[in-house]
Amino acid sequence: MPSAASVRVSESAASIRQVWPTTPKIGLILGTGLSQAADRMKVEQSLPFQRIAHFASATALSHAGRVVCGELAGIKTIAMAGRCHLYEGYSYDQVTLPVRVMRALGAEILIVSNASGGLNPGYRGGDIMVMTDHLNFMFGVHRPAGLFSRSAPPSEKCPADTRCAEDPDRPDAWMAPTNSDVRCGWCYDSELIDVSLAIARRDGFRAHRGAYVAVTGPNYETRAEYRMFRRIGGDAVGMSTVPEVLTAASLGMRVLGLSMVTNVALPDSPEKVDPQDVVEWAARAEPHLCRIVEGVAGHLMPDSGKLRLRPS
Amino acid sequence: MVELFDKIQEAVHAVRTQWDVSPKVGIILGTGLGGFAQEIDVEASLDYEAIPHFPRSTVAGHRGRLLCGRLEGVPILAMEGRFHLYEGYTPKQITLPVRVMRALGADTLIVSNACGGMNPYFREGDIMVIEDHINLMGANPLIGINDERLGPRFPDMSEAYDRKLIARALRVAHRADITAHQGVFVAVSGPCLETRAEYRFLRMIGADVVGMSTVPEVIVAAHCGMRVLGISTITDMCLPDALHPADLNTILAVANAAEPKLRTIVRGVLAEEANA
Repeated sequence: MPSAASVRVSESAASIRQVWPTTPKIGLILGTGLSQAADRMKVEQSLPFQRIAHFASATALSHAGRVVCGELAGIKTIAMAGRCHLYEGYSYDQVTLPVRVMRALGAEILIVSNASGGLNPGYRGGDIMVMTDHLNFMFGVHRPAGLFSRSAPPSEKCPADTRCAEDPDRPDAWMAPTNSDVRCGWCYDSELIDVSLAIARRDGFRAHRGAYVAVTGPNYETRAEYRMFRRIGGDAVGMSTVPEVLTAASLGMRVLGLSMVTNVALPDSPEKVDPQDVVEWAARAEPHLCRIVEGVAGHLMPDSGKLRLRPS
Repeated sequence: MVELFDKIQEAVHAVRTQWDVSPKVGIILGTGLGGFAQEIDVEASLDYEAIPHFPRSTVAGHRGRLLCGRLEGVPILAMEGRFHLYEGYTPKQITLPVRVMRALGADTLIVSNACGGMNPYFREGDIMVIEDHINLMGANPLIGINDERLGPRFPDMSEAYDRKLIARALRVAHRADITAHQGVFVAVSGPCLETRAEYRFLRMIGADVVGMSTVPEVIVAAHCGMRVLGISTITDMCLPDALHPADLNTILAVANAAEPKLRTIVRGVLAEEANA
């Protein structure tokens, strides 16, 4: 008997396959300010989220909310422009559904991007951080039933079956992201990291390795929180990506995480963060992100049904 | 979140029928600081049960009513009894009163709490003016759809605690010969107190004191544009190499004994507010 969650995945995948009966090898998730990157693809099909079963509508600033299917450097790719965040009130399952659907359609590699606040003083606004690691501070978003009461009855914006508090299929969902087979030490693919950094060197723009701290938000951090995250080993902080990465890793996908550093937090001389600035910084760094994404796709070649990197 | 706006209006209406004055300052009194209520020239008093959508307090030391009146000539609202995550309330329930205070006209929030001291220079019974905080509660009252009428989607928190109010509070304390520190408050959910390993960790990440409240209210105050003054009473010292079991009765006793200091500081801050 398939679970309600897996039925949702099948139905979403089916609504995409209906209009695009192709197997994508790469799944691409484009975060804040990066929707335009989808336009670099040779587009075969473009679907707004509303046309896909169970895809919630993206509401954050600058998110377009569409799925773009086509080719990137000759490799079949499915790209999601616009994503859902935990701070919008979506559940872990809703936020990660698109990754499961990409996997169900056949994608082997997930390339995920985000905009983040820099913590490492060696970074500058506009830099790219290739994620080598993360620190997950998104704990507490799920509430086991009974400990915390529902504060409001379900409404059309948050229907009962999508509330994060109780998933009857997995009452322990809050304790572990997807399944127990996530080997977090292997989340971020080292070959894809190396290729990304090589592209940046070749094309002459700044890119660093670094650890991404994931918080729920939506408020930006206090100075004390910035200092804490730096001290415990974070290089940049943001409000997304980690749920998708953990899901992809648990499904056996290779993951490349690319973070656009939009402002560098200086706790000793803080400035207020303007969300509009974040969008503008991200847009300025977008061409570099596209170079990496296209370059990585260009380095991949099919080999007995799977993708692998060309020998250098 | 649209329904939150309506809930606020209903609560505002209930308060206005009893007290038709616009408050300047909202005050939240933490554990053991209820005696402070006697200082206020009360013009109206509402039990939380009488206010639509207000939760009920369940912890010893929290009375459960809203006092409306004046202190040092400044019109204020004081919450005698607050709500905590560990009681099972959601962050939105805990912070609804702050939104109601704002909607009634208050632009300043004074929030107090009892906390464990971790900075070895602090002593039991000392006061700490909160300069900054770290949220380790695993909860945030702003998660959900944002109602722009209440505040922005991504509030800045680089100066959640008002610099001028901090300076004023320290000045008042200094003049009254009260030992008042300034430092970083870390919020955890509780309800259990921390292990020695946890105290070491919290200290290591830059916190001076630890408590189980306040941060949700401050996040909402920042969201709706209020200036915040946070005052912590150190009710027990939590030095990991010399940790003794803590007891609620002792904590309440220390909080009550420190209450005159809190009274002096808040009165002094409000007196300067009236003249500002």
